[in-house]
Amino acid sequence: MLMGGRIRLWIIAASVVGLAALAAVSWLSYRNTRELIAANQRLAQAHKLIEDLTALHLLLDDAESSCRGYALSGKDEYLKPYDAALVQVDIATQVLRHDVAHDTNRSLQFQQLEPTIQARLEVLKELVKARRNGGFEAAVRVVQSNRGKILADEIRQRISTMQVEERNDLLDLERESRERARTTILAVGLTCVLGVSLLLAASIVIYRLNRRSEKDHVALQNAERIQRTILNSAAYSMLSTNTEGVIQTVNAAAEKWLGYTGAELAGSNVTIVHDAQELQSRGDQLTRAMGMPISGDSQALVTKARYGVADEFECTYVRKDGTRFPVLLAVTALRSGANDLSGYLMIAADLSERQAIRKMKDEFVSIVSHELRTPLTSIKGALGLLAGGVTGVLPPKAAEMANIAQGNVERLSRLVNDILDLQRIESGRITMDKRPCNIADLVQESAEAVHLVAEAEGLTILTSCREACVEADRERMVQAFVNLLGNAIKFSPRGGRIEFAAERTSGGVLFRVKDEGRGIPREKLETIFERFVQVDASDAREKGGTGLGLAICRTIVEQHGGRVWAESELGRGSTFYVQLPVAQSNSMATSGIA
Amino acid sequence: MAKTVLVIDDDRDIREVAKTSLELVGGFGVIVAESGLRGVALAQRAKPDAIILDLMMPDFDGQQTLAHLKQVSETAHIPVIMLTAKVQASKLELVGKGAAGVLVKPFDPMQLPTQVCEILGWSAADGKDIGHSGSAKK
Repeated sequence: MLMGGRIRLWIIAASVVGLAALAAVSWLSYRNTRELIAANQRLAQAHKLIEDLTALHLLLDDAESSCRGYALSGKDEYLKPYDAALVQVDIATQVLRHDVAHDTNRSLQFQQLEPTIQARLEVLKELVKARRNGGFEAAVRVVQSNRGKILADEIRQRISTMQVEERNDLLDLERESRERARTTILAVGLTCVLGVSLLLAASIVIYRLNRRSEKDHVALQNAERIQRTILNSAAYSMLSTNTEGVIQTVNAAAEKWLGYTGAELAGSNVTIVHDAQELQSRGDQLTRAMGMPISGDSQALVTKARYGVADEFECTYVRKDGTRFPVLLAVTALRSGANDLSGYLMIAADLSERQAIRKMKDEFVSIVSHELRTPLTSIKGALGLLAGGVTGVLPPKAAEMANIAQGNVERLSRLVNDILDLQRIESGRITMDKRPCNIADLVQESAEAVHLVAEAEGLTILTSCREACVEADRERMVQAFVNLLGNAIKFSPRGGRIEFAAERTSGGVLFRVKDEGRGIPREKLETIFERFVQVDASDAREKGGTGLGLAICRTIVEQHGGRVWAESELGRGSTFYVQLPVAQSNSMATSGIA
Repeated sequence: MAKTVLVIDDDRDIREVAKTSLELVGGFGVIVAESGLRGVALAQRAKPDAIILDLMMPDFDGQQTLAHLKQVSETAHIPVIMLTAKVQASKLELVGKGAAGVLVKPFDPMQLPTQVCEILGWSAADGKDIGHSGSAKK
């Protein structure tokens, strides 16, 4: 942008300078040319004046020669040139008068010459008259009077002076003309050089601009091609619309999925690919949620994005043939450089496969749930009845075997329950029924759920908590705390103490389960929340854990917008923390359960 | 007189375990049916004091059986306890459809009679004839 502005400035400056130079040179050339034309005219006049003066002089000489011939011979035929010269001298005098009219000095000189010429002609006339009337001697007397010679010399002198001066003027004029011609040639030459330079500079600038423009154009074309390739190879349907929801561009996936060509979609309102009833329903829903009327058309799709809210929702796309498929639609507002709304981008992911997988997973869970738990129920029931002595007293060894089998069936049963639980919570199939829960009740209920097991291990669970409220699914949060407490019980030494406390902190409500167990190595503090990860591989067998308790705990806590973590010192016990967002708080309450 | 419980489950082993548990541990009279349709017919004929009904069965499942039992006047009053292997079977949903309660598989056979009594509000004396089988297995 800056570069382009500088180049434009240079072009304008060069143009101004070039035009000014051309104007100056043109004016100079025009003036010189005009003066040259004037000088040429003057030169021609000068030459003509010199020639006319010479001709006059010759005529006068002819007249004199003719008269003298007549004077010597007395024959009239000698007077013919004299008579002709008289007529021609008159004409030549008139011509010369015209020749010198433009020049004051010459005109003055000629005015002085004219009486001398007339006087000379009078002397000649007198000579002719004297010969005709007085004979040869009379003519000799006229000649010997010497007046003719004096006048002839004066005429010669004056004509010569005029011619010399005229020749000098001629030389001056020629010099001036040469000077002007040289100046003109120089100016024209300079103009040509300047013109060629400007043309060259302009050509270079235009060439460079063209090259840059060409490069930019190629780069733009490449970028557009890459973008188009990306858009068309994306496994998402992409539609861009204007602010009114009219489709502007369509990518290949959209054409393929929807069965329309890009030309068919461009110019149509985006509602053409949506379920009208669904749009109406979403419009009504947004009207209620946003407290402003939102029509059940394209506005139902774009209103949230228009207000800068990231909008992603599941909806139905309708193909050209009327068939439908579920999509996850993300709507983004498109804004220009000035942040003005220019349209919307609608990116849709086909959920058909995802929904099919979800259905398969549900079916799998259902099958596992039923097909695995049904035989487990039979085995557990049968073993329970055997071990319980319902079918008769078993021999000691058989009773021991029955107990081993029963214990492992319990373990298998817990494992199946945990896997199913984790899968269903993670998939969101179980929605958290969040209600305000008193944290004291959560602590109490969780502690009571495990107190028999703790008692059997000779452990004491000490609870302490402040009154506060969290938004939680009571049953699920108790499940999470029972997992943490069960863990603490498993790893605490017999006769030990477990602290279960909850308090309000700046970050929400913090629950703490502290045991006096063997502790957890630092490198395992994070991984123990992953599936099937235990501190020691033998724990699953020795402690009867499934390796899923903490993973379930973390999933439940995260679904409540909270977080869970552990701190530990090897040999001195571990503390598990659960932080949940607070709903409200109250006063302190402390209780203890053995 | 011991109360009679009808166990409807498509799995033979579970029927047998439940029957043994309810008879020998709880002292109830137990009759069993292997499908929802047979269970309905047996309930109309034998008029048990309670029914333990498996939720997931082929063809005529637990929910359909429950609906049918509640529609027929002879069986509408009989409390039905749903037996389900689903972890998250909605107790509220099933209770809303007329179930008296829900038992989750796998159940503890030593605790099953107690759980049944708790759900139905029976006393331990309601199943006192331990060792006496009142089965009417089809």
